Amino acid sequence: MSEQVTEEPREDGQPGDRELVEKAQKGDGEAFATLVERHQRQLYRLALRMTGSEADAQEVLQEAFLNAYQKLPLFRGEAQFSSWLYRIAANSALMRLRRKRRAPDALSDQPLELVGPKFSAEGYLDPAGDWSQRADEKMMSAQLGAAIQKAVTQLPDDYRTVFLLKDVDGLSNEDIATALDLTVPAVKSRLHRARLALREKLGEFFEAK
Amino acid sequence: MTSPIHHCKECVELLGEYIEGTLSPEQSKALEDHLSLCPPCITFVRTYKATRSLCRAALAAQMPRELMSSLKSFLSEHVPGFSCSKSDAAPRPPSDSEPKKV
Repeated sequence: MSEQVTEEPREDGQPGDRELVEKAQKGDGEAFATLVERHQRQLYRLALRMTGSEADAQEVLQEAFLNAYQKLPLFRGEAQFSSWLYRIAANSALMRLRRKRRAPDALSDQPLELVGPKFSAEGYLDPAGDWSQRADEKMMSAQLGAAIQKAVTQLPDDYRTVFLLKDVDGLSNEDIATALDLTVPAVKSRLHRARLALREKLGEFFEAK
Repeated sequence: MTSPIHHCKECVELLGEYIEGTLSPEQSKALEDHLSLCPPCITFVRTYKATRSLCRAALAAQMPRELMSSLKSFLSEHVPGFSCSKSDAAPRPPSDSEPKKV
């Protein structure tokens, strides 16, 4: 039998998600509103970066929170509420993307193959330019921002989701594994492949400058 | 005992776990020994780390207020007793600048 995960007290003294979920399960709409207020920003960020469109992100959020409300009686606290929500939102975004790609007028915007670094036959890296010195995030330009957006959009969906949850939202590998129904090694592997592919794209960007 | 790392490919494979600090001490030592002798891998580590920080900075979007309002309106129509008065009265500053564990 699964056990409920423990929940640390909040620093702001507000009720924890567990308490709010229990109230919401008993029909307290205000408790559910507080949960929405608490998690909407992170879900928005995930939805926006997964779908690449603010309009789609809006629909994903509506669908995800409504879905979460309807499924609330099934939530047993075996995972963090936030992980459960992420899973619902990520699934909603993925389904939306798949529907769009199947549409007859879909643009040819299929994800690219993951490209990593190139090694010699013996397994050595060639010397390459160190663009990290030019990559101070304070120097973020519109061009660089657009290049990153494009590169992330072109990651395969499953890799992009893991990357966004980890490197943008800062979730733990364990929470991501729970949210996406993956093993922790699978999370680590996808994350690493996504980072390697993005690193290649950023290298191309800086080389062209 | 962990074998020494001779090839950059092995080094790159371990990099994700290395920068998260989840490698065993023996593996970390083997990787650091390789790095001390391999300038291309040092560059690789730096650019790998920079990739993370640049992407995080570029992708940290904030949720527009209009979207918050429309989400609340939508949920008010579908969730009995859904109240948004608290957050409307005292909007919290966006917590998007620093990623955090939830």
